[in-house]
Amino acid sequence: MAENAPSGGGFIPAGLAALGIEADETELAVMAAVHGLIWPPLSELLALDTAHVEPERCPDLSRAPEP
Amino acid sequence: MSEPLDLGLRAQAAAIAAGEVDAGELLDAALARIEQRNPALNAVVETFPERSREMLAAAPEGPLRGVPLVIKDEWPLPWRAQRFGAAELMVPTAPGESGPYRALRGAGATIVGVGNMHELGAGSTGAVSYYGAARNPWDTERCPGGSSSGPAAAVAGRLAAGAVGADGLGSVRLPAAYCGLTGLKPTFGSSAMAGHHMAPITTLIVSGPLCADAGDCRLLASALYGKELSTGDAAGLRIGVVRDPVSEDVTPEAAGACEEAIEALRAETGGELREIELPDLEAASLAGILIINSEAMGGATPRKLNRLSPELSPIARGTLKYGMLLPAAALAQGQRVRTLMRRRLAALFAGVDVIAWPTVPAPAPPLDAPVVELPSGTHSADQANVRGAALANLTGIPAISMPVGLSDDGLPLALQLQAAWGADELLLDAAEALERANGRRWVDAVPPPAEASAMEA
Repeated sequence: MAENAPSGGGFIPAGLAALGIEADETELAVMAAVHGLIWPPLSELLALDTAHVEPERCPDLSRAPEP
Repeated sequence: MSEPLDLGLRAQAAAIAAGEVDAGELLDAALARIEQRNPALNAVVETFPERSREMLAAAPEGPLRGVPLVIKDEWPLPWRAQRFGAAELMVPTAPGESGPYRALRGAGATIVGVGNMHELGAGSTGAVSYYGAARNPWDTERCPGGSSSGPAAAVAGRLAAGAVGADGLGSVRLPAAYCGLTGLKPTFGSSAMAGHHMAPITTLIVSGPLCADAGDCRLLASALYGKELSTGDAAGLRIGVVRDPVSEDVTPEAAGACEEAIEALRAETGGELREIELPDLEAASLAGILIINSEAMGGATPRKLNRLSPELSPIARGTLKYGMLLPAAALAQGQRVRTLMRRRLAALFAGVDVIAWPTVPAPAPPLDAPVVELPSGTHSADQANVRGAALANLTGIPAISMPVGLSDDGLPLALQLQAAWGADELLLDAAEALERANGRRWVDAVPPPAEASAMEA
Protein backbone atom coordinates (compact mmCIF):
# COMPACT_ATOMS: atom_id res chain seq x y z
CA MET A 1 0.00 0.00 0.00
CA ALA A 2 1.28 3.46 -0.81
CA GLU A 3 2.82 5.32 2.08
CA ASN A 4 0.48 8.28 1.84
CA ALA A 5 -2.64 6.15 1.94
CA PRO A 6 -4.28 6.26 5.34
CA SER A 7 -4.25 2.86 6.87
CA GLY A 8 -7.02 0.78 5.41
CA GLY A 9 -6.96 -0.95 8.76
CA GLY A 10 -8.25 2.21 10.40
CA PHE A 11 -10.11 4.12 7.72
CA ILE A 12 -12.12 1.23 6.40
CA PRO A 13 -13.43 -0.26 9.66
CA ALA A 14 -14.19 3.20 10.98
CA GLY A 15 -16.08 4.15 7.82
CA LEU A 16 -18.00 0.91 7.76
CA ALA A 17 -18.87 1.22 11.43
CA ALA A 18 -20.10 4.78 10.96
CA LEU A 19 -22.43 3.61 8.20
CA GLY A 20 -23.45 0.39 9.92
CA ILE A 21 -22.03 -1.78 7.14
CA GLU A 22 -20.77 -5.22 8.02
CA ALA A 23 -17.91 -6.93 6.20
CA ASP A 24 -16.21 -10.28 6.48
CA GLU A 25 -12.47 -10.79 6.31
CA THR A 26 -12.44 -11.45 2.59
CA GLU A 27 -14.39 -8.30 1.88
CA LEU A 28 -12.10 -6.32 4.16
CA ALA A 29 -9.09 -7.67 2.27
CA VAL A 30 -10.65 -6.61 -1.03
CA MET A 31 -11.39 -3.17 0.38
CA ALA A 32 -7.85 -2.80 1.65
CA ALA A 33 -6.48 -3.69 -1.79
CA VAL A 34 -8.83 -1.26 -3.53
CA HIS A 35 -7.98 1.41 -0.99
CA GLY A 36 -4.27 0.94 -1.61
CA LEU A 37 -4.80 1.42 -5.33
CA ILE A 38 -7.24 4.29 -5.30
CA TRP A 39 -6.26 6.41 -2.33
CA PRO A 40 -2.91 7.75 -3.58
CA PRO A 41 -4.32 9.07 -6.88
CA LEU A 42 -7.43 10.23 -5.03
CA SER A 43 -5.25 12.28 -2.72
CA GLU A 44 -3.53 13.76 -5.77
CA LEU A 45 -6.91 14.54 -7.29
CA LEU A 46 -8.01 16.34 -4.15
CA ALA A 47 -4.75 18.29 -4.18
CA LEU A 48 -5.30 19.47 -7.75
CA ASP A 49 -6.07 23.18 -7.75
CA THR A 50 -9.23 23.57 -9.79
CA ALA A 51 -10.28 26.90 -8.35
CA HIS A 52 -9.82 28.46 -11.78
CA VAL A 53 -12.23 26.00 -13.40
CA GLU A 54 -15.60 27.61 -13.82
CA PRO A 55 -18.09 24.77 -13.40
CA GLU A 56 -20.33 23.78 -16.28
CA ARG A 57 -23.94 24.10 -15.29
CA CYS A 58 -25.81 20.93 -16.27
CA PRO A 59 -23.30 20.03 -18.99
CA ASP A 60 -24.62 18.55 -22.20
CA LEU A 61 -22.15 15.71 -22.66
CA SER A 62 -23.23 15.15 -26.24
CA ARG A 63 -21.73 18.49 -27.21
CA ALA A 64 -18.63 20.54 -26.71
CA PRO A 65 -18.78 22.80 -23.68
CA GLU A 66 -20.00 26.33 -24.10
CA PRO A 67 -17.07 28.69 -24.70
CA MET B 1 -18.67 -18.51 -50.75
CA SER B 2 -17.21 -19.40 -47.36
CA GLU B 3 -19.55 -20.42 -44.57
CA PRO B 4 -22.14 -17.61 -44.43
CA LEU B 5 -21.60 -17.35 -40.70
CA ASP B 6 -17.95 -16.51 -41.33
CA LEU B 7 -18.90 -13.51 -43.44
CA GLY B 8 -18.89 -10.08 -41.94
CA LEU B 9 -22.03 -8.23 -40.98
CA ARG B 10 -22.39 -6.29 -44.23
CA ALA B 11 -21.76 -9.37 -46.31
CA GLN B 12 -24.32 -11.41 -44.35
CA ALA B 13 -26.93 -8.69 -44.71
CA ALA B 14 -26.19 -8.31 -48.42
CA ALA B 15 -26.28 -12.06 -49.04
CA ILE B 16 -29.67 -12.34 -47.34
CA ALA B 17 -31.04 -9.33 -49.22
CA ALA B 18 -29.83 -10.81 -52.51
CA GLY B 19 -31.44 -14.15 -51.74
CA GLU B 20 -28.08 -15.91 -51.71
CA VAL B 21 -28.41 -16.92 -48.08
CA ASP B 22 -31.57 -18.02 -46.32
CA ALA B 23 -32.00 -16.11 -43.07
CA GLY B 24 -33.61 -19.08 -41.35
CA GLU B 25 -30.70 -21.30 -42.26
CA LEU B 26 -28.27 -18.64 -41.09
CA LEU B 27 -30.01 -18.46 -37.74
CA ASP B 28 -29.90 -22.23 -37.41
CA ALA B 29 -26.22 -22.18 -38.30
CA ALA B 30 -25.56 -19.53 -35.67
CA LEU B 31 -27.37 -21.55 -33.02
CA ALA B 32 -25.47 -24.68 -34.04
CA ARG B 33 -22.16 -22.87 -33.90
CA ILE B 34 -22.94 -21.47 -30.46
CA GLU B 35 -23.67 -25.00 -29.31
CA GLN B 36 -20.42 -26.17 -30.87
CA ARG B 37 -17.98 -23.42 -29.92
CA ASN B 38 -19.47 -21.70 -26.91
CA PRO B 39 -18.44 -24.32 -24.34
CA ALA B 40 -14.83 -23.24 -24.92
CA LEU B 41 -15.63 -19.52 -24.95
CA ASN B 42 -18.54 -18.99 -22.56
CA ALA B 43 -19.32 -15.95 -24.67
CA VAL B 44 -23.07 -16.50 -24.91
CA VAL B 45 -24.92 -17.10 -21.67
CA GLU B 46 -28.37 -17.71 -23.04
CA THR B 47 -30.05 -18.54 -26.33
CA PHE B 48 -33.79 -18.62 -27.00
CA PRO B 49 -34.32 -20.24 -30.40
CA GLU B 50 -38.08 -19.79 -30.44
CA ARG B 51 -37.82 -16.08 -29.60
CA SER B 52 -35.13 -15.67 -32.24
CA ARG B 53 -37.28 -17.38 -34.84
CA GLU B 54 -40.22 -15.17 -33.90
CA MET B 55 -38.03 -12.09 -34.38
CA LEU B 56 -36.93 -13.38 -37.75
CA ALA B 57 -40.48 -14.17 -38.84
CA ALA B 58 -41.58 -10.64 -37.96
CA ALA B 59 -38.43 -8.91 -39.24
CA PRO B 60 -39.04 -5.89 -41.46
CA GLU B 61 -37.04 -5.20 -44.62
CA GLY B 62 -34.37 -3.32 -42.71
CA PRO B 63 -30.62 -3.05 -43.33
CA LEU B 64 -29.90 -5.92 -40.94
CA ARG B 65 -32.79 -8.16 -41.92
CA GLY B 66 -32.17 -11.73 -40.86
CA VAL B 67 -28.68 -11.15 -39.46
CA PRO B 68 -28.14 -12.95 -36.13
CA LEU B 69 -26.59 -10.71 -33.48
CA VAL B 70 -25.56 -10.97 -29.84
CA ILE B 71 -26.57 -8.42 -27.22
CA LYS B 72 -24.78 -7.88 -23.93
CA ASP B 73 -26.40 -8.93 -20.66
CA GLU B 74 -26.91 -5.26 -19.90
CA TRP B 75 -30.32 -4.55 -21.42
CA PRO B 76 -33.69 -6.14 -20.92
CA LEU B 77 -35.35 -8.08 -23.68
CA PRO B 78 -39.11 -8.62 -23.76
CA TRP B 79 -38.57 -12.14 -22.49
CA ARG B 80 -35.58 -11.60 -20.23
CA ALA B 81 -34.32 -9.12 -17.62
CA GLN B 82 -30.65 -8.25 -17.69
CA ARG B 83 -28.44 -9.74 -14.96
CA PHE B 84 -25.52 -7.36 -15.57
CA GLY B 85 -23.22 -10.35 -15.17
CA ALA B 86 -24.10 -10.51 -11.49
CA ALA B 87 -26.13 -12.45 -8.98
CA GLU B 88 -27.64 -9.24 -7.67
CA LEU B 89 -28.08 -5.60 -8.66
CA MET B 90 -28.74 -2.62 -6.44
CA VAL B 91 -31.86 -1.74 -8.43
CA PRO B 92 -34.66 -3.96 -9.69
CA THR B 93 -34.72 -5.09 -13.32
CA ALA B 94 -37.48 -6.60 -15.40
CA PRO B 95 -38.03 -7.88 -18.93
CA GLY B 96 -38.89 -5.19 -21.43
CA GLU B 97 -38.21 -3.58 -24.79
CA SER B 98 -34.90 -1.81 -24.37
CA GLY B 99 -33.62 0.78 -26.79
CA PRO B 100 -31.04 -1.52 -28.38
CA TYR B 101 -33.65 -4.28 -28.71
CA ARG B 102 -36.01 -1.92 -30.53
CA ALA B 103 -33.16 -0.64 -32.70
CA LEU B 104 -32.16 -4.15 -33.74
CA ARG B 105 -35.74 -5.26 -34.27
CA GLY B 106 -36.44 -2.16 -36.34
CA ALA B 107 -33.43 -2.89 -38.52
CA GLY B 108 -34.65 -6.44 -39.07
CA ALA B 109 -31.94 -8.16 -37.05
CA THR B 110 -32.40 -11.34 -35.07
CA ILE B 111 -31.07 -11.53 -31.54
CA VAL B 112 -29.53 -14.99 -31.30
CA GLY B 113 -28.17 -14.81 -27.77
CA VAL B 114 -27.14 -12.79 -24.75
CA GLY B 115 -23.47 -12.04 -24.29
CA ASN B 116 -21.56 -12.63 -21.08
CA MET B 117 -20.07 -9.65 -19.26
CA HIS B 118 -17.78 -8.76 -16.40
CA GLU B 119 -19.69 -8.75 -13.14
CA LEU B 120 -21.59 -5.48 -12.63
CA GLY B 121 -19.67 -4.02 -15.57
CA ALA B 122 -16.91 -3.33 -13.09
CA GLY B 123 -13.87 -4.71 -14.82
CA SER B 124 -11.92 -4.59 -18.06
CA THR B 125 -10.93 -8.26 -18.23
CA GLY B 126 -14.09 -10.36 -18.30
CA ALA B 127 -12.41 -12.63 -15.76
CA VAL B 128 -15.23 -12.33 -13.21
CA SER B 129 -18.86 -13.02 -14.01
CA TYR B 130 -21.92 -14.62 -12.53
CA TYR B 131 -21.77 -16.98 -15.50
CA GLY B 132 -18.07 -17.71 -15.18
CA ALA B 133 -15.39 -15.98 -17.22
CA ALA B 134 -15.74 -15.59 -20.95
CA ARG B 135 -12.64 -16.64 -22.86
CA ASN B 136 -10.61 -15.01 -25.59
CA PRO B 137 -10.87 -16.87 -28.92
CA TRP B 138 -7.25 -15.95 -29.67
CA ASP B 139 -6.14 -17.88 -26.61
CA THR B 140 -8.79 -19.37 -24.39
CA GLU B 141 -6.54 -19.03 -21.35
CA ARG B 142 -6.53 -15.26 -21.83
CA CYS B 143 -8.96 -12.52 -20.87
CA PRO B 144 -11.41 -11.48 -23.56
CA GLY B 145 -11.62 -7.98 -22.09
CA GLY B 146 -14.52 -6.30 -20.43
CA SER B 147 -16.92 -5.49 -19.50
CA SER B 148 -18.43 -6.52 -22.88
CA SER B 149 -16.53 -9.80 -22.69
CA GLY B 150 -19.15 -12.06 -24.24
CA PRO B 151 -20.02 -9.82 -27.19
CA ALA B 152 -16.34 -9.54 -28.07
CA ALA B 153 -15.61 -13.24 -27.67
CA ALA B 154 -18.73 -14.11 -29.66
CA VAL B 155 -17.76 -11.96 -32.63
CA ALA B 156 -14.09 -12.93 -32.57
CA GLY B 157 -15.14 -16.59 -32.31
CA ARG B 158 -17.48 -16.09 -35.28
CA LEU B 159 -20.58 -17.03 -33.32
CA ALA B 160 -22.11 -13.87 -34.77
CA ALA B 161 -20.90 -11.10 -37.07
CA GLY B 162 -21.79 -8.33 -34.70
CA ALA B 163 -22.75 -7.61 -31.13
CA VAL B 164 -24.09 -4.75 -29.08
CA GLY B 165 -22.03 -3.86 -26.04
CA ALA B 166 -21.98 -0.97 -23.61
CA ASP B 167 -19.13 1.36 -22.79
CA GLY B 168 -18.95 3.16 -19.44
CA LEU B 169 -15.17 3.28 -18.95
CA GLY B 170 -13.96 1.49 -22.06
CA SER B 171 -16.23 -1.54 -21.96
CA VAL B 172 -16.63 -1.75 -25.74
CA ARG B 173 -13.15 -0.61 -26.78
CA LEU B 174 -11.16 -2.73 -24.31
CA PRO B 175 -12.67 -6.12 -25.24
CA ALA B 176 -12.55 -5.13 -28.90
CA ALA B 177 -8.83 -4.53 -28.41
CA TYR B 178 -8.18 -7.83 -26.64
CA CYS B 179 -10.18 -9.80 -29.21
CA GLY B 180 -8.90 -8.16 -32.40
CA LEU B 181 -12.16 -6.39 -33.26
CA THR B 182 -13.31 -2.89 -34.09
CA GLY B 183 -15.39 -1.31 -31.34
CA LEU B 184 -17.07 2.08 -31.33
CA LYS B 185 -17.90 4.16 -28.27
CA PRO B 186 -20.43 6.70 -29.57
CA THR B 187 -20.72 10.32 -28.54
CA PHE B 188 -22.65 10.36 -25.27
CA GLY B 189 -26.39 10.23 -25.88
CA SER B 190 -26.12 9.28 -29.55
CA SER B 191 -26.99 5.60 -29.34
CA ALA B 192 -29.95 3.67 -27.97
CA MET B 193 -29.88 3.37 -24.17
CA ALA B 194 -33.52 3.13 -23.08
CA GLY B 195 -34.23 0.34 -20.66
CA HIS B 196 -30.73 0.19 -19.23
CA HIS B 197 -31.12 0.16 -15.47
CA MET B 198 -28.72 3.14 -15.22
CA ALA B 199 -30.07 5.03 -18.23
CA PRO B 200 -31.83 7.70 -16.19
CA ILE B 201 -28.73 8.55 -14.19
CA THR B 202 -25.62 7.67 -16.15
CA THR B 203 -23.47 10.38 -17.66
CA LEU B 204 -20.91 7.91 -18.94
CA ILE B 205 -22.45 4.77 -20.44
CA VAL B 206 -23.42 4.35 -24.09
CA SER B 207 -24.34 1.38 -26.22
CA GLY B 208 -21.94 0.57 -29.01
CA PRO B 209 -21.15 -2.01 -31.69
CA LEU B 210 -18.39 -4.63 -31.79
CA CYS B 211 -17.68 -6.05 -35.23
CA ALA B 212 -14.79 -7.26 -37.34
CA ASP B 213 -14.26 -3.95 -39.11
CA ALA B 214 -15.32 -0.35 -39.28
CA GLY B 215 -17.79 -0.84 -42.11
CA ASP B 216 -19.68 -3.42 -40.08
CA CYS B 217 -19.57 -1.12 -37.05
CA ARG B 218 -21.01 1.66 -39.20
CA LEU B 219 -23.91 -0.55 -40.23
CA LEU B 220 -24.69 -1.73 -36.71
CA ALA B 221 -24.13 1.71 -35.23
CA SER B 222 -26.58 3.17 -37.73
CA ALA B 223 -29.25 0.97 -36.20
CA LEU B 224 -28.27 1.99 -32.67
CA TYR B 225 -28.15 5.70 -33.59
CA GLY B 226 -31.43 5.52 -35.48
CA LYS B 227 -29.90 7.19 -38.52
CA GLU B 228 -27.60 6.17 -41.32
CA LEU B 229 -24.01 7.10 -40.61
CA SER B 230 -22.51 8.49 -43.78
CA THR B 231 -19.15 7.58 -45.27
CA GLY B 232 -16.28 9.99 -45.88
CA ASP B 233 -12.62 9.63 -46.65
CA ALA B 234 -10.85 11.27 -43.68
CA ALA B 235 -8.68 13.17 -46.15
CA GLY B 236 -6.10 15.42 -44.61
CA LEU B 237 -6.57 13.89 -41.18
CA ARG B 238 -4.80 15.83 -38.45
CA ILE B 239 -3.70 13.27 -35.88
CA GLY B 240 -2.83 14.39 -32.38
CA VAL B 241 -0.38 12.35 -30.34
CA VAL B 242 0.54 12.89 -26.70
CA ARG B 243 3.75 12.22 -24.83
CA ASP B 244 2.21 10.74 -21.72
CA PRO B 245 2.20 7.39 -19.93
CA VAL B 246 -1.01 6.58 -21.77
CA SER B 247 1.02 6.28 -24.96
CA GLU B 248 4.48 5.61 -23.56
CA ASP B 249 3.99 3.30 -20.57
CA VAL B 250 3.01 0.46 -22.86
CA THR B 251 4.74 -2.68 -24.06
CA PRO B 252 7.25 -2.21 -26.89
CA GLU B 253 5.02 -4.31 -29.13
CA ALA B 254 1.97 -2.15 -28.48
CA ALA B 255 3.98 1.02 -28.95
CA GLY B 256 5.52 -0.20 -32.18
CA ALA B 257 2.25 -1.42 -33.69
CA CYS B 258 0.45 1.80 -32.81
CA GLU B 259 3.23 4.04 -34.10
CA GLU B 260 3.27 2.12 -37.36
CA ALA B 261 -0.50 2.36 -37.64
CA ILE B 262 -0.55 6.08 -36.92
CA GLU B 263 2.04 6.69 -39.61
CA ALA B 264 0.13 4.49 -42.05
CA LEU B 265 -3.06 6.40 -41.28
CA ARG B 266 -1.31 9.71 -41.80
CA ALA B 267 0.09 8.58 -45.14
CA GLU B 268 -3.20 7.08 -46.32
CA THR B 269 -5.17 10.23 -45.56
CA GLY B 270 -2.48 12.65 -46.65
CA GLY B 271 -2.71 14.06 -43.18
CA GLU B 272 -0.27 15.19 -40.56
CA LEU B 273 0.86 14.35 -37.05
CA ARG B 274 0.76 16.97 -34.35
CA GLU B 275 2.18 16.54 -30.89
CA ILE B 276 -0.30 17.88 -28.36
CA GLU B 277 -0.38 18.52 -24.62
CA LEU B 278 -3.14 16.89 -22.61
CA PRO B 279 -2.16 16.94 -18.93
CA ASP B 280 -3.99 15.42 -15.98
CA LEU B 281 -5.05 12.23 -17.77
CA GLU B 282 -4.63 10.25 -14.56
CA ALA B 283 -6.90 12.68 -12.72
CA ALA B 284 -9.40 12.32 -15.57
CA SER B 285 -9.27 8.57 -15.25
CA LEU B 286 -9.96 8.71 -11.53
CA ALA B 287 -12.71 11.26 -12.08
CA GLY B 288 -14.40 8.78 -14.38
CA ILE B 289 -14.09 6.04 -11.77
CA LEU B 290 -15.54 8.26 -9.03
CA ILE B 291 -18.45 9.41 -11.16
CA ILE B 292 -19.40 5.94 -12.38
CA ASN B 293 -19.10 4.64 -8.83
CA SER B 294 -21.48 7.30 -7.57
CA GLU B 295 -23.94 6.55 -10.37
CA ALA B 296 -23.70 2.81 -9.82
CA MET B 297 -24.23 3.17 -6.08
CA GLY B 298 -27.66 4.68 -6.65
CA GLY B 299 -30.09 2.42 -4.84
CA ALA B 300 -27.46 0.98 -2.52
CA THR B 301 -28.11 1.28 1.20
CA PRO B 302 -26.20 -0.06 4.19
CA ARG B 303 -29.11 -2.42 4.76
CA LYS B 304 -28.85 -3.81 1.23
CA LEU B 305 -25.09 -4.03 1.46
CA ASN B 306 -25.41 -6.08 4.64
CA ARG B 307 -27.57 -8.56 2.75
CA LEU B 308 -25.61 -8.98 -0.46
CA SER B 309 -26.02 -12.26 -2.24
CA PRO B 310 -23.28 -14.74 -1.38
CA GLU B 311 -23.23 -15.47 -5.10
CA LEU B 312 -21.73 -12.06 -5.75
CA SER B 313 -17.96 -12.33 -5.99
CA PRO B 314 -15.94 -11.20 -2.97
CA ILE B 315 -14.48 -8.51 -5.24
CA ALA B 316 -17.94 -7.15 -5.98
CA ARG B 317 -19.02 -7.30 -2.36
CA GLY B 318 -15.87 -5.55 -1.19
CA THR B 319 -15.89 -2.86 -3.87
CA LEU B 320 -19.57 -2.13 -3.40
CA LYS B 321 -19.03 -1.58 0.31
CA TYR B 322 -15.86 0.42 -0.27
CA GLY B 323 -17.77 2.57 -2.71
CA MET B 324 -19.84 3.90 0.17
CA LEU B 325 -16.68 5.28 1.79
CA LEU B 326 -15.43 7.47 -1.03
CA PRO B 327 -15.48 11.14 0.00
CA ALA B 328 -18.03 13.41 -1.63
CA ALA B 329 -15.34 16.08 -2.01
CA ALA B 330 -13.48 13.77 -4.39
CA LEU B 331 -16.60 13.37 -6.50
CA ALA B 332 -17.06 17.12 -6.62
CA GLN B 333 -13.44 17.47 -7.62
CA GLY B 334 -13.97 14.83 -10.28
CA GLN B 335 -16.77 16.88 -11.76
CA ARG B 336 -14.48 19.90 -11.95
CA VAL B 337 -11.85 17.78 -13.67
CA ARG B 338 -14.54 16.70 -16.12
CA THR B 339 -15.19 20.32 -17.00
CA LEU B 340 -11.47 21.03 -17.20
CA MET B 341 -10.88 18.16 -19.62
CA ARG B 342 -13.92 18.99 -21.74
CA ARG B 343 -12.64 22.52 -22.23
CA ARG B 344 -9.11 21.32 -22.98
CA LEU B 345 -10.44 18.88 -25.56
CA ALA B 346 -12.65 21.50 -27.17
CA ALA B 347 -9.57 23.66 -27.62
CA LEU B 348 -7.44 20.77 -28.87
CA PHE B 349 -9.99 19.70 -31.45
CA ALA B 350 -9.64 23.07 -33.11
CA GLY B 351 -6.19 21.92 -34.15
CA VAL B 352 -6.50 18.16 -34.60
CA ASP B 353 -9.23 15.88 -35.91
CA VAL B 354 -8.38 12.83 -33.83
CA ILE B 355 -6.24 11.95 -30.84
CA ALA B 356 -4.45 8.61 -31.06
CA TRP B 357 -2.96 6.31 -28.46
CA PRO B 358 -2.91 2.56 -27.74
CA THR B 359 -6.30 1.26 -26.65
CA VAL B 360 -4.63 -1.06 -24.16
CA PRO B 361 -1.04 -0.87 -22.95
CA ALA B 362 -0.50 -4.61 -23.31
CA PRO B 363 -2.27 -7.54 -24.95
CA ALA B 364 -4.76 -9.73 -23.15
CA PRO B 365 -3.34 -11.13 -19.88
CA PRO B 366 -4.01 -14.62 -18.55
CA LEU B 367 -7.42 -15.16 -17.00
CA ASP B 368 -5.86 -16.59 -13.86
CA ALA B 369 -3.48 -13.63 -13.42
CA PRO B 370 -4.94 -10.51 -15.05
CA VAL B 371 -1.92 -8.30 -14.63
CA VAL B 372 0.27 -6.59 -17.22
CA GLU B 373 3.99 -5.90 -17.27
CA LEU B 374 4.69 -2.34 -18.37
CA PRO B 375 7.85 -0.24 -18.35
CA SER B 376 6.66 1.29 -15.06
CA GLY B 377 6.17 -2.12 -13.46
CA THR B 378 3.45 -4.68 -12.87
CA HIS B 379 -0.12 -3.39 -12.78
CA SER B 380 -3.55 -4.92 -12.63
CA ALA B 381 -5.00 -4.90 -16.13
CA ASP B 382 -7.96 -2.89 -14.85
CA GLN B 383 -5.72 -0.21 -13.44
CA ALA B 384 -3.68 -0.02 -16.62
CA ASN B 385 -6.56 -0.15 -19.07
CA VAL B 386 -8.79 2.51 -17.56
CA ARG B 387 -6.28 5.32 -17.92
CA GLY B 388 -6.53 5.28 -21.71
CA ALA B 389 -10.23 4.58 -21.84
CA ALA B 390 -11.88 6.88 -19.32
CA LEU B 391 -11.35 10.22 -21.02
CA ALA B 392 -13.92 9.59 -23.75
CA ASN B 393 -16.58 8.60 -21.22
CA LEU B 394 -15.77 11.41 -18.84
CA THR B 395 -16.02 14.07 -21.52
CA GLY B 396 -18.64 12.52 -23.81
CA ILE B 397 -16.49 12.35 -26.95
CA PRO B 398 -16.62 9.36 -29.33
CA ALA B 399 -13.78 6.88 -29.62
CA ILE B 400 -12.96 3.80 -31.64
CA SER B 401 -10.60 0.89 -31.15
CA MET B 402 -9.22 -1.03 -34.10
CA PRO B 403 -6.75 -3.91 -34.43
CA VAL B 404 -3.27 -2.92 -35.60
CA GLY B 405 -1.14 -6.00 -35.10
CA LEU B 406 -0.36 -9.15 -33.19
CA SER B 407 2.07 -9.63 -30.34
CA ASP B 408 4.80 -12.25 -30.42
CA ASP B 409 2.34 -14.42 -28.52
CA GLY B 410 -0.18 -14.03 -31.31
CA LEU B 411 -2.49 -11.72 -29.37
CA PRO B 412 -4.20 -8.66 -30.87
CA LEU B 413 -2.82 -5.16 -30.38
CA ALA B 414 -5.04 -2.12 -30.84
CA LEU B 415 -5.07 1.60 -31.53
CA GLN B 416 -7.67 4.01 -30.18
CA LEU B 417 -8.78 7.17 -31.93
CA GLN B 418 -10.86 9.83 -30.21
CA ALA B 419 -12.61 12.72 -31.93
CA ALA B 420 -14.74 15.72 -31.11
CA TRP B 421 -18.35 15.44 -30.02
CA GLY B 422 -20.49 14.26 -32.94
CA ALA B 423 -17.53 13.27 -35.11
CA ASP B 424 -18.39 9.58 -34.83
CA GLU B 425 -18.52 9.18 -38.61
CA LEU B 426 -15.02 10.60 -38.93
CA LEU B 427 -13.73 7.91 -36.58
CA LEU B 428 -15.27 5.23 -38.78
CA ASP B 429 -13.82 6.93 -41.86
CA ALA B 430 -10.39 7.01 -40.25
CA ALA B 431 -10.63 3.34 -39.24
CA GLU B 432 -11.56 2.42 -42.80
CA ALA B 433 -8.63 4.47 -44.08
CA LEU B 434 -6.32 2.51 -41.84
CA GLU B 435 -7.83 -0.74 -43.10
CA ARG B 436 -7.02 0.38 -46.65
CA ALA B 437 -3.54 1.37 -45.63
CA ASN B 438 -2.67 -2.00 -44.14
CA GLY B 439 -4.57 -4.08 -46.66
CA ARG B 440 -7.16 -5.15 -44.08
CA ARG B 441 -4.47 -7.37 -42.64
CA TRP B 442 -5.61 -7.06 -39.05
CA VAL B 443 -9.39 -6.78 -39.39
CA ASP B 444 -9.39 -9.94 -41.51
CA ALA B 445 -7.15 -11.84 -39.10
CA VAL B 446 -8.85 -14.71 -37.33
CA PRO B 447 -7.87 -16.73 -34.27
CA PRO B 448 -5.25 -19.39 -35.01
CA PRO B 449 -6.18 -22.95 -35.95
CA ALA B 450 -5.17 -24.35 -32.57
CA GLU B 451 -7.66 -22.13 -30.82
CA ALA B 452 -10.27 -22.78 -33.46
CA SER B 453 -9.81 -26.50 -32.81
CA ALA B 454 -10.29 -25.93 -29.11
CA MET B 455 -13.51 -24.10 -29.85
CA GLU B 456 -14.74 -26.97 -32.00
CA ALA B 457 -13.84 -29.57 -29.39
